[in-house]
Amino acid sequence: MSDDNKPFFVGYLPVPQALRGLLLAICVLLVSGFAGFGLALGVAQDDPGEGAFRFDYGRQTVTGVIELTPYPLLRVTQGNERIKPGHTLMLAGGGKNNVDSRAIPLEGQLAQASGVILERGDLDMMQLRGGRGGLDAAEGAAPQMEVDQLGRWKLAGEICDGKCLAGAMRPGRGLAHKACANLCLLGGVPPVFVSTRPVEGSQFLLITGPDGERLPEKAYDYVAQFISLEGDVERRGDLLVLRMDPDTLEVLK
Amino acid sequence: MSVKYIPVQWNNNKYIYDAVMLLGVGLFLYVFLYAAPGLLSHERPINPQVHNARAFGACAFVMLSVILCIGPLARLDPRFLPLLYNRRHFGVMTVFVAITHAGYIIDWYFAFSSSNKYEALLFANTSYGQLAGFPFEIFGIFALFTLIVLAATSHDFWMKFLSPPVWKRIHYLIYPAYLSVVAHVSFGILQDQQNHTFTVIFIGGAAAVGVLHLMAALHERRVDQAIKADAVDWVPVCDVAQMREGFARIKLLANGERVAVYLNEGKLSAISNACAHQNGPLGEGRIINCLVTCPWHGFQYDVTSGRSPAPFTEMVPTYNLKTDGAMVLLDPRANPPGTFVEPVPAPGREAKL
Repeated sequence: MSDDNKPFFVGYLPVPQALRGLLLAICVLLVSGFAGFGLALGVAQDDPGEGAFRFDYGRQTVTGVIELTPYPLLRVTQGNERIKPGHTLMLAGGGKNNVDSRAIPLEGQLAQASGVILERGDLDMMQLRGGRGGLDAAEGAAPQMEVDQLGRWKLAGEICDGKCLAGAMRPGRGLAHKACANLCLLGGVPPVFVSTRPVEGSQFLLITGPDGERLPEKAYDYVAQFISLEGDVERRGDLLVLRMDPDTLEVLK
Repeated sequence: MSVKYIPVQWNNNKYIYDAVMLLGVGLFLYVFLYAAPGLLSHERPINPQVHNARAFGACAFVMLSVILCIGPLARLDPRFLPLLYNRRHFGVMTVFVAITHAGYIIDWYFAFSSSNKYEALLFANTSYGQLAGFPFEIFGIFALFTLIVLAATSHDFWMKFLSPPVWKRIHYLIYPAYLSVVAHVSFGILQDQQNHTFTVIFIGGAAAVGVLHLMAALHERRVDQAIKADAVDWVPVCDVAQMREGFARIKLLANGERVAVYLNEGKLSAISNACAHQNGPLGEGRIINCLVTCPWHGFQYDVTSGRSPAPFTEMVPTYNLKTDGAMVLLDPRANPPGTFVEPVPAPGREAKL
């Protein structure tokens, strides 16, 4: 109920004298509060990690053997100063797209790949240039590439898309990134399992279906979550490939 | 008051209100976008698009929380009513900030694929059967569309067109929208945060909104209990001695309607407590220049007829009164809006000429 001693504010009339001090204090509090929240929230953001596009390296061109896991890989045979022979590069196209149409005809053949590198620690990927300049057959016979079977493993960690994780998006993992990761995976970008404990020295494993097919549909519900799973691990060059068993998927938290 | 529907009718208080809000929002965004990165010791920066999306998203949440605190604050203490006066401008500003947040998200996380980015927003994650990893974007979409509808219908034209009760019901959607924002954040970034500053501010903001609304509801309940009338022919309002010149006593009728009984120049008059503009509480206003003035937006009515002064056309129902000794009695049957009722002399309170 109104009180005749209390000031009465009418928007189109001057502000009552008795309210001016309070309203001024509210204005100051509101403006400084917004600035303060901006600062507090701005500096509370987590480090997205070291992954990034390495445009600073310049365009990289290497030669190797194309393998399909079914995600295209390049087993480097002729490298350069940065990318040594024996290294295995995951390949991706621009945006959230794969390079299947260019890589599949070259499976098992020697090819020259050119593009920009994405790098997070010992995980890397090449985003190919467009057209044949990005991936084209190279002269010469392809050497036989070995695949070492490392047996069945039970691992805990997170399924991510290899491109965002490697640095295309910063940050490029975690639950808030799940939809983006799924869109990448639907586009055929190589998926990566980030293990909490290194497997044979590597924290990152390219992950496929149990018979070497694309990531099973069931796994999409588990992307970006902390999970455990089992699967067979194989080594292709310096890259580990995990052929997951979808029936063993389990959410850990 | 409005004569015709032009986009905005400005006055000094509105200029000041908007300037303060713009300054606050501008500072929030400036500090978040340009001062914070220098203080973060990241080896490599967060993507600018993600950083921008976060800045605008966080700002929209803070703005929405402040907006939702204004209503209960004004109920608890009328000194906060000036914050209510131009709140819709603040709301519209919030929608633009929220749209900018959504734009950065859609153009970054849902772009760059062969699919349409808006379709991708709906199909990229469909894990609706689980809590962790639930597609929290859907909550954001609902909140954004609701806020856009509220902003688009915020103008007085829509209030007149839809009628204040319908308009008000539509605008109650702000509560599901806010809950949706809370869910959007809770299922999204909150589950990813390692630094819990955001968590504390987020929970604090949402809790402030909740607690203030609870306090205001309890306050209203106490007031309602004090002013509630039984379903009788003539409802006792109060003793004439309890009335103040230029002010009202509010009575809650058995049918849920509220009536404001005014003492004006020694005579008693009663009109509906609900302002024809936004159903503001007329009985909490006061008589200025012989006109009942709404505490929310200054709409005015002749206390004897419930009519706004010409050229305005707003009308509210009036009520009949009588006195029994010093007791003021109210007929709970409302007269049609705009009906003149001869004021009843207040025993012992006649105006001194």
